[in-house]
Amino acid sequence: MTLTAGLGFKLEHFDDASMCRAQGLWFEVHAENYMVDGGPRLAALGALRDRHPISLHGVGLSIASDTAPDAEHLRRLAALVRRVEPIAVSDHLAWQKWDGVHHSDFLPFPRTRQALDRVVDNVGRVQDGLGRPMLVENPSLYVDLPGHEMSEIEFLSELAKRSGCGLLVDVNNVFVSASNIGINAAMCIDGFPADAVGEIHLAGHSPDPDIASNLLIDSHDAPVADEVWRLYRRLIARVGPRPTLIERDDHIPPFDTLMLERDRAHAILVDADRARAPVHV
Amino acid sequence: MSDATHPQPVNQSELARFQQAFGAALAGQGATPVAGGSALARALAIHRNTSAKAAQDALAANYPVVRALFGDDAFSACAGAFVSAEPPREPRLNAYGAGFPAFLQDYAPAAELSYVPDVAALERLHVEALFAADATSLDGLALGAALDPEAVLRLHPATRFTAFPSPAVGIWLAHRDGDEAALGEVVWRPEAVLVTRPGLDVRVERINAPAVAFLSACASGQTLGVAATAAAEAGGDLPTMFAMLITAGAFA
Repeated sequence: MTLTAGLGFKLEHFDDASMCRAQGLWFEVHAENYMVDGGPRLAALGALRDRHPISLHGVGLSIASDTAPDAEHLRRLAALVRRVEPIAVSDHLAWQKWDGVHHSDFLPFPRTRQALDRVVDNVGRVQDGLGRPMLVENPSLYVDLPGHEMSEIEFLSELAKRSGCGLLVDVNNVFVSASNIGINAAMCIDGFPADAVGEIHLAGHSPDPDIASNLLIDSHDAPVADEVWRLYRRLIARVGPRPTLIERDDHIPPFDTLMLERDRAHAILVDADRARAPVHV
Repeated sequence: MSDATHPQPVNQSELARFQQAFGAALAGQGATPVAGGSALARALAIHRNTSAKAAQDALAANYPVVRALFGDDAFSACAGAFVSAEPPREPRLNAYGAGFPAFLQDYAPAAELSYVPDVAALERLHVEALFAADATSLDGLALGAALDPEAVLRLHPATRFTAFPSPAVGIWLAHRDGDEAALGEVVWRPEAVLVTRPGLDVRVERINAPAVAFLSACASGQTLGVAATAAAEAGGDLPTMFAMLITAGAFA
């Protein structure tokens, strides 16, 4: 097994990250942060890329908008892909554009057949623009919208089948969404089509600060929760080892602290790999 | 009779109609997009907060000294007002906030702090320099003594300069260095700034009027001879000024 568990790259961790020689380590960056003409940030990514595999995680394609992906944004992403040669390119099953405004969040929509046609078309346009398949991530949901014609799993499975994209399973988002809309998280985890799963995300969540609310928020500001680790083991036991990322975007601890969580995922992946490998005598 | 100012698209899809209504509800316009009561209202609030927080965090990252001048609470209030007035138009938040210096000009709570918009303008130049294209800075030694007065010096892609009516440069430098003594010694006067990026580090320094005259001439494509005359007329000492600009990596 080559790639095991990775970390979301933070510029302040550059020295530790580049020097780290942990087996199977890789890094993921938010693609939009590196869509710049030049300078130290792009140089740091270039230096990191010379030492570790990199995955580009988009937060701005808005593939569930009822419009085609922004041509200029897609062109910038394609340029970054050519520069970095990432191990994966991903973004979210969500929309973000409204009346010229860009929402830096992943907005929900009714999962209708018509919406599926649109997302299949948009993912196709992205993949044509990049010249490679992308991975699509399940977002955190905060409300069960009326008007769904299919479950999220059905929608993502159809999307993968029809567009040829892979899936990025965010186990924390599965847990948060299931808790927020009142469905069974383990059943959701069991529903992802194993062949399509190309990457896994693990992150922390926090309770909604509004005391009248019992929602969970996908805050990426805490360690991965025990329930999420349990769901992760369940997923890996079924689909086998897949590159797994520890995400942390707020209250960022020292590199070594993040590596402890990363090593925990690494150990689970190595065990799963051993369990699957044929025994040689 | 049709409404010419608000035409209804005839073929608008269900998805587009939903997103139009959801976006309007996020922006606080119109009724909630779908039945959903308090659960939907809370979800909208969470999405609104997440989106606004990302934009406000980006603004705070790009304007650290303005934030320090205001203090965290006052900056948060100001950033919230700016994000409502000029929300991000694209997903690259590291470039967000180009309109913030102009917004501050009319921001009533800071009306007495007339230097704050200038400090913000300086911080914007810093962001532009940080993300500008790479280029090798012009080497003074390679240039040698044989400076051709007909030559045109090209500014490095990261080079920015401007003159302020306030001592914005001294205030910014003192804050960056955490130098309270320097902050106490700032005197009220117009100042000009040069922002450059020789190698990968952004440099910010105070420059004088002749240097501004020289750089302005270079930026508008004038020859070295014309630029030198402009600087000399502003009372500049050419060799010293030129050495400073070369050391700063102002040219490519």
